[in-house]
Amino acid sequence: MKKLALVIGTALLAAGCGGSYARTEKAETQISFGSAVARRGLWREAAFRFEKAVEKEPSNARAHNNLAVALEASGEFARALAEYKKALELDPNDSYIRRNYARFAEFYTSYTRTTGKATGGS
Amino acid sequence: MRGVLAAVLVALLSALPALAGVTQVKLKLPLKPRLPLRGNEKIALAPFILATEAEKARDRRLQNVDLQAEFQRFLKKQIEKKTKLEVVELPTDLKLPTQNLSELGRSSEYWRAMGVQTGAEIIVSGSLEFRVEDRSGYKTEEYVSPIDGRTYYRQVYVEQTGFLFDIVFLVFDGNSGEKILQDEFKDFRQTGGRRADELQGLFENLFSLENQILNLFVARDREAERYIFTD
Repeated sequence: MKKLALVIGTALLAAGCGGSYARTEKAETQISFGSAVARRGLWREAAFRFEKAVEKEPSNARAHNNLAVALEASGEFARALAEYKKALELDPNDSYIRRNYARFAEFYTSYTRTTGKATGGS
Repeated sequence: MRGVLAAVLVALLSALPALAGVTQVKLKLPLKPRLPLRGNEKIALAPFILATEAEKARDRRLQNVDLQAEFQRFLKKQIEKKTKLEVVELPTDLKLPTQNLSELGRSSEYWRAMGVQTGAEIIVSGSLEFRVEDRSGYKTEEYVSPIDGRTYYRQVYVEQTGFLFDIVFLVFDGNSGEKILQDEFKDFRQTGGRRADELQGLFENLFSLENQILNLFVARDREAERYIFTD
């Protein structure tokens, strides 16, 4: 009886470890961890996590959206634009992704707008 | 009845994952300066055309506000405090060549001469409009009765003061006299009660436009909100 319990226990432990290892490989785990650090303002770490999520699941619109936000927060606007577009392409009906893209587009247009001519700059 | 309740419960439960899986985050986004400057240029603050001049005769309250002086003082203080630009003093009796904004923008000879005379690399001018509007009237508002707890609508008499501020900035290159930027900022504030203080209203307008005005010359931050998925 004791032997049986030991075997079952070992099997459960092994399954648990295997499961937890498998979970870190999942895009959702990276998204979950990335969003937690993003809420604390750690945008570089968040971008790293969301990049991993995109690597795991290139067709995951949520991962592309989150990566776009993290890149935007890190000042990498051209890459953020590409990621927002990819997210929208993958899920054009998601209202959150659409709102994010619209607000980013408004900001990015004014950011890239060039006005007047330089009076110096050398 | 139980069927309806069950359907509502199912709908709520099915909506939960979607609600739980999104969160709003705040980002600080940089705003590039509108003018491509080195940052340490000599800047001259020329007078602005007062678009409210004609209104003054009708509104005695505007006579209490020296709009030109207050605005120049505000602008000079902000530029000196929050940028590395060097403000060049101009003669106090300086007269603009015209009171027409379009013509002012085309007076490149005038601005070039000012640049040569003062050494200013950039010159700021434009037009200012400040209006105080007392408004009163009836407004519909919701009212919850303390007797039966039900919501009713009632008409209430409301008195409000509105402050409108409109600035058009013209920025000139002191070397060529050419206009390098034209931009307009507007702000409208409303306070409860009639005859609110006009100077206080003016500064509320100005402080709300401060970020936009300074962004002409230096980089500023803007707070933005985005959604991220949490699972």
